[in-house]
Amino acid sequence: MSVLEKTARPITELIAEGDSPASLYGELRSVFETESASVAGARQARALRDRWLGRKSGVITATNRRWLKAAPRELKPVVGKLQNLLRKELEAAVKRAARTASAPARKDRRLDPTLPGPERVLGSVHPVRMALEEVLDIFRPLGYTVAEGPEIETFFYNFEALNFPPDHPAVDEMDTLFLKDGDLLRTHTSPCQIRIMEAQPPPLRYVVHGKVYRNDTADATHSPMFHQLEMFAVDAGITFGDLKGTLEHFAARFFGPDTKTRFRPSYFPFTEPSAEVDITCPFCNGSGCRVCKQTGFIEVLGCGMIDPNVLRNAGLDPESHQGFAAGFGLDRFAMLKYGIDDILLLYQGDVRFLRQFR
Amino acid sequence: MRILLSWLRDFVDIEESPRALAHALTMAGMAVDAVEEEDGETILEVDVTSNRPDAMNHFGMAREVAAIYRRPLRAPTSPVPESDAPASDLASVEIEDADSCTRYVGRVFTCVRVRPSPDWMRRRLELCEVRSINNLADLTNYVLLEMGQPTHAFDLDTLAGSRIVVRRAGAGEPLVTLDGQERELSPDQLAICDADKPVALAGVMGGAATEITEDTRNVLLEAAWFRPAMIRNASRRFKLFTEASHRFERGADWNATVRAADRIASLLGRTGPGTVLGGRIDCFPREPSLPAIRLRRERIARHLGVAVEDGEVEAILASLGFEASRTDSGWTVQASSHRLDVEREIDLIEEIARIHGFEKIPATLPAVGTAPIPTPHAAEDARMRAGVRGLGFDETIGFSFIGSEDARRFGGDRGVVLRNPLSNLWGVMRNSMAPTMVRAVEWNLKRNQPFVRLAEFGRIYRRAGQGHEEPRMLTLGASGAARLPSWTDASRPYGFYDLKADVLALVRPYRTDDVRIDTENLPAYLRQGHAAAFRCGSDTIATFGELDPALARERKIRQPVLLAEIHLDALYDRGLYKPSHRQQPRVPSVSRDFSLLVPDGVKFARIVEAVGAMPDLRSLEPAEIFRGKNVPAGHYSLLLRASWQRLDQSLTDEEVNAFSDTLRSSLDSKLGISPRS
Repeated sequence: MSVLEKTARPITELIAEGDSPASLYGELRSVFETESASVAGARQARALRDRWLGRKSGVITATNRRWLKAAPRELKPVVGKLQNLLRKELEAAVKRAARTASAPARKDRRLDPTLPGPERVLGSVHPVRMALEEVLDIFRPLGYTVAEGPEIETFFYNFEALNFPPDHPAVDEMDTLFLKDGDLLRTHTSPCQIRIMEAQPPPLRYVVHGKVYRNDTADATHSPMFHQLEMFAVDAGITFGDLKGTLEHFAARFFGPDTKTRFRPSYFPFTEPSAEVDITCPFCNGSGCRVCKQTGFIEVLGCGMIDPNVLRNAGLDPESHQGFAAGFGLDRFAMLKYGIDDILLLYQGDVRFLRQFR
Repeated sequence: MRILLSWLRDFVDIEESPRALAHALTMAGMAVDAVEEEDGETILEVDVTSNRPDAMNHFGMAREVAAIYRRPLRAPTSPVPESDAPASDLASVEIEDADSCTRYVGRVFTCVRVRPSPDWMRRRLELCEVRSINNLADLTNYVLLEMGQPTHAFDLDTLAGSRIVVRRAGAGEPLVTLDGQERELSPDQLAICDADKPVALAGVMGGAATEITEDTRNVLLEAAWFRPAMIRNASRRFKLFTEASHRFERGADWNATVRAADRIASLLGRTGPGTVLGGRIDCFPREPSLPAIRLRRERIARHLGVAVEDGEVEAILASLGFEASRTDSGWTVQASSHRLDVEREIDLIEEIARIHGFEKIPATLPAVGTAPIPTPHAAEDARMRAGVRGLGFDETIGFSFIGSEDARRFGGDRGVVLRNPLSNLWGVMRNSMAPTMVRAVEWNLKRNQPFVRLAEFGRIYRRAGQGHEEPRMLTLGASGAARLPSWTDASRPYGFYDLKADVLALVRPYRTDDVRIDTENLPAYLRQGHAAAFRCGSDTIATFGELDPALARERKIRQPVLLAEIHLDALYDRGLYKPSHRQQPRVPSVSRDFSLLVPDGVKFARIVEAVGAMPDLRSLEPAEIFRGKNVPAGHYSLLLRASWQRLDQSLTDEEVNAFSDTLRSSLDSKLGISPRS
């Protein structure tokens, strides 16, 4: 028997059958709450009011008569209080329902499924984060461990251990931001190579990512802070061919299966041989466009075999261990992939920009 | 740098098209950025990496071309028409600091006349974007572009004692350089001096007093080799970056000094007028020794992943100017002064790889040798990001730098200060992420965004012992409507309770059973009385509230801005709750409402505390809060809703009544609050 049907019966019978006043009123409240929750529009709000608070046949009138008035003396105060509470609550709720249903919907008698519901949105993921997740999804199945490392570094980890000759112009080229206390903001994620090699024996497969800093004036392609991602592997038999294979796989996964890579010899103090990697321009598929300056290729990352001095500086014997490393700017990857033409858009926090990446 | 195709052809035959040549050079590590046609000449714009000073000239680039195509290389030698009078009669050279100047070669020219250079030379210089000055200055520039050896011409008659002394400068010794600036030298710098005084800043710039002028008749030509660090320091000290310092600090070739001096002498003989005196003054106290490098066949294959034939290895080394002799395991290769960057086996392997061609090395994938180590707190972080996204916050990233004023006001101390900041507004590593968030919110409000909900995952920075620590933080920033404006719902602004609910939703998945709300010891940037913190034990999990209206006004923000800082490290260290199922009650809960008149000073938390841990109490919630009409002043009316429930047994009326009585008496005895009549 539903509680609504019970309102037609005297409370004494119901108690005899095991109900309690509190549970009866509690159940009634639940039924009401369910009903009122689905009320839409002024007409339904009125119907709700009539059904529950109608003077002649409303539920409250029924309980007043069958439950409160019929209650035995000893139960009267309890039932009276419950009756009162419920009535007050119902009155308030009906009023609220009427208010909500009023103004705009007053004339809408029918539901219009083509009207927009109140908009609910998921937050957006920052494009740099989005690019990072994509990259990690490629490297994790290859057995790579993900790490971040500190952004405030020492000269030793950022330069010396990475085989930057102390008086070499390469140190200037890095445009380092120094701290007053003598340390510096890492100019690349490579110091982590040393930290990880020092802490852990090979074989190593690592992806390191995070913020890096350069003393660069901000413009559409430069930002004093940006995000770098670096992957490296150290093992007994890692070869330059392995580096090529790994990066070809990565480029095809990230930029699309038709992407071709080109390895050009280059120079970095911490790798040897070193290479710059070009990919066929994702905008024109290599046929030449504004983005690739008609060359069909764009430069996307730097890489190479870890220099023996770097391995030695991290306490490994270069006679028995070799490794490769590759690094690139996640910001640039995000810009290439999502067509963003100004790096500073990434750091303004403009919600109109961010909401494009839901 | 600009490389003229016709100049390259002086030293090596090139049949390929400029495009094909550009591609070949690029693939060998000499990145050709552009191929241009100008005045009937083909010019390659080549980006030479800093480790290859040897290729920053036409002859060096020609050696690359010769190696790539395995063609003979012709050195730029030509006969020097010397007179019988020896140069050493007219001038002398002495090196006092042999550590800083390894070699100094001088040549003496007499009876010169300063006039314009011949057209062919001027044209080459100008195509290389070097301004033609006069025949003597042009000769030094020409040979620099051709061979990469910087040289300098002194007016011999202005040199006191006709003498060159290479020594450290004395403290405060003055020198007016060619650019007209008076420089005060110090013993950190190497000076080229005459018998009395400095006449040039070694390897960087000559002096004005000994400059070639229209009246110059006799010339001392300098071709020297200086220690790179010495030149770099001087050039940085005076912010003087010249073609000469650029070459020297990257490392020139001490044997090229002789060839460059001879080349200039020979060209002077051709272009004249002038007489080259006999012999060079060659001051070369001791030739630095260069290693013999062991190159193992097996190592080449081990690094590259593919074997390279012996003949190919030898051809490549020879074409690059290295002498190699065979050994059992491979070769012994003599390091050479023209390639000081090549000193180890790996350097040779790189040379072989790049000339052999990276494209000939087959791509392979290394075996997955090891199981990845899970990133600490990866699951915790993923959950937080999903939560933030689900609540509708847009992820932003801001710069890690803030101004010192913001560091003080938001972070409460000076913070970690930069020595060479990009600007004063970016002088400190942020010690609070709040100012960054305020800036982002401000940006959007100024662009009339009605609904701003931003989140940033980042770090703050502070000193810790000898080093630093960089705890991870999450900031939330919200302003404007609580919901996106819609025809279905009336709009209301996002407020403190919305923020509190969002923060609580985010921290709930983590082990925070002992979480308590604290309204004391809050950051000063939050509005007093409109802020709180969640703390667990001694850890702060989150602080949140409304931005101090005074700070908002300074930024011309005229609406409430809600900010939260969530301490991710503290939260992640606690870990996520382990998912586990608990049986849900089979019987409905029973709830009772209590209408209370509460004095204003009594916070809801105290009511909850007063009720305490009652058996079977499932929830205690404020159903309605009301102030004003019919409520006595200094009080508020609270409709408190308590629900009780047991797992599988209905609560009887008597039990609930008893619970209600206990609740009422607790409130009465502990807080003096009684239900309204």
